[in-house]
Amino acid sequence: MQFGCDPKSDSTNTLRGGTYIPTVLDTLREKTKVNAHEVVYEGFNGIYCVEAGGPSPGVGCAGRGIITAVQLFKQQNIFEELDLDVILYDVLGDVVCGGFAVPIREGIAQHVFTVSSADFMSIYASNNLFKGISGYSRSGGALLGGVIANSINQPYSKEIVDDFVKRTDTQVVEYIPRSVTVTQSELQGKTVIESAPGSAQADIYRSLAKKIAAHTESKVPTPLEISDLREWAGQWGKHLLELERSGSVAETLVKV
Amino acid sequence: MARINLDTAAVESREQRLGTVVYWDGNALELSEKSGYSKKGKCGSGCNLCEMKGPFTQPSVCSEQMVECQAGNIREAVLIQHAPIGCSASQTFYNTIYRIGLASRGHKVENLRISSTNLTERDMVFGGAEKLRLTIEDVWNHYHPKAIFIGSSCATGIIGDDIDSVTEEYTEKLGIPVVPLHCEGFRSKHWSTGFDQTQHGILRQIVKKPTKKQEDLVNVINLWGSDVFGPLLANLDLRVNYVVDLATVDDLASMSEAAATVAFCNTLGTYLSEGLEQAFGVPQIRAPQPYGIAGTDAWLRDLARVTHREHLVEDFIAREHARIAPEVEKLKKKLGGKQGFIATGSAYAHGLIEVLRELGIRVNGSVVFHHDPIYDSGDPSQDTLAHLVDNYGNVDDFVVSIRQPFQFFTTLRKHNPDFILIRHNGLAPLAARLGVPAAPLGDEHLAIGYNGLINLGNLILEIIERRRFCEDLSKHVTHQYSDWWSAQTDPGILAKHPELIWEGIDI
Repeated sequence: MQFGCDPKSDSTNTLRGGTYIPTVLDTLREKTKVNAHEVVYEGFNGIYCVEAGGPSPGVGCAGRGIITAVQLFKQQNIFEELDLDVILYDVLGDVVCGGFAVPIREGIAQHVFTVSSADFMSIYASNNLFKGISGYSRSGGALLGGVIANSINQPYSKEIVDDFVKRTDTQVVEYIPRSVTVTQSELQGKTVIESAPGSAQADIYRSLAKKIAAHTESKVPTPLEISDLREWAGQWGKHLLELERSGSVAETLVKV
Repeated sequence: MARINLDTAAVESREQRLGTVVYWDGNALELSEKSGYSKKGKCGSGCNLCEMKGPFTQPSVCSEQMVECQAGNIREAVLIQHAPIGCSASQTFYNTIYRIGLASRGHKVENLRISSTNLTERDMVFGGAEKLRLTIEDVWNHYHPKAIFIGSSCATGIIGDDIDSVTEEYTEKLGIPVVPLHCEGFRSKHWSTGFDQTQHGILRQIVKKPTKKQEDLVNVINLWGSDVFGPLLANLDLRVNYVVDLATVDDLASMSEAAATVAFCNTLGTYLSEGLEQAFGVPQIRAPQPYGIAGTDAWLRDLARVTHREHLVEDFIAREHARIAPEVEKLKKKLGGKQGFIATGSAYAHGLIEVLRELGIRVNGSVVFHHDPIYDSGDPSQDTLAHLVDNYGNVDDFVVSIRQPFQFFTTLRKHNPDFILIRHNGLAPLAARLGVPAAPLGDEHLAIGYNGLINLGNLILEIIERRRFCEDLSKHVTHQYSDWWSAQTDPGILAKHPELIWEGIDI
């Protein structure tokens, strides 16, 4: 099951041919008594799709929406009833309040995998997430399985993520290059596995899936303090400048 | 019926579990048929029951307050309200009730032990978990309680404070149950979800796996009522374990050892009874509630069956019938033909109407504060409304309304009864101002069992003597309602014609 925990409600979009499914919270808004089965939809390859949903941007409380949606499923024992192999909660990288932290709390998820590129803001958000995981680990929360390094097309990108996971005592589970195959698939409303199963990108996703399926031991990360993270970023900034001067890295501009 | 799910800390709301409604207008037969699980042999449930929507709601209470009056009323325990201080406004009110309850049961009279984390703006922004830890440490050092309950609030529910983790941490650290109670007021439209949440927490963390059985012990789920069940059940050689209010933590822990569970009212007891049956094998009594002669007979017979006391019950019933018959006859002569009106919680109202009708009193109207189309057992034998309708006849004007004084004003004027019985006493003065004597039933056990007929009959005789006083009062008071509203005869007109609100009518 893929359980989208984002008010945009687009997590499962590519599993359902590009269509949006009615969300848990939309359904709750219409009636007070909801059978959770009503908001479970079957998508590509028999994957159950659920979208928590949430308010329109700028109104209400999306975090409370996540709490409400997850509680409904737990109370109705849906996960047990459907006899699922894997439940994948797709959660926002910015855990901005307690509501968005619900899936990583005790009793919900077992492992957390963080998707991060080598961009500083992405690393910064990952580091913040590690702080949350570290905090909840004291009360039985889910532990960190590792980082899924995204948009890794340059050697230096890989090195930045590698250095970050080393300093925060975790690992890279898989390196995912940026690929036009992903864009093409998304525009068709499909996953890469569905639209281009024979592509190199699909092989990488299959490799990632196998690693996650075989993963058993997660750990408590050691997030960097903000000042340390800034200092670390500064050092990488200098290093990249040196690489650029030496001609090892070239800025690629695309004319549109 | 669905299994009680004790794996999650937050209970499912009443409307989600039972299809509860808080506004409906019609007659009791129609409501029973539309709720209709006993009529159809299964839960038709909430399914056919269309809830009316009113344009606004006047005062109510919320789940958090029900946690306060249950978990906050357990002896040797402490309740922490993890909330801004305003949520504690009712502590003084509940303290009065608690002290009266303790005195009436012969316990040492003491004050409530409820603390608040007093959350402020800073806690809303940065999270209140540390303040909760500090408060738990404080109450532990101050009281050394046998259990600590943590009631959440709307504020902590929205910011997503991780109360469950903190309670787990302190359960381990202090070696006592520290129980999270998710009672955010916004989670349910009816306050009774707060009863369920308290009972859910007790089932999860307080009730112990039984090491022995006490074959003469009966759990009685009630509030603060006087000791009526004790003397009644002693006739069957049974002892009572009153829960949840005024019980000790040990009383609650030993509920699993009892031979049976009963409740003074299904609205209050349905969740705990079912949970004890499912999780600990303690059977619940599935007969009608013990109100009126027929109800009490059936209830005693079922209790005797479950506790293997059939050999005692028939003699007792016969003796009691003979004992109360002369007094009941006298009451019938005095009260026969009077018109009564009931405004209480749902299942309790069903029982009270039965008692009144056995006393020969006419009851053509009633307001109940919510309606559960089904109870947690799903067993038709617990369908109190169907029992009323099938055995005592219809109630022509049966309104489900969550304490709407403006509607109550119109309803009472329409019926103009000789008296009303009322459980939530905020509405009693309104009745008096309309010239109708009212009895606020502070002791919820007053109408229980055979003595209940006599108790209630005598109470009614007492209050109808105040009729003249109330009529005089009504001539000298003014009401806040407009001439337009005062001229209305249909209390539900604004729900049926909400456009009136926008046409500038003045209520």
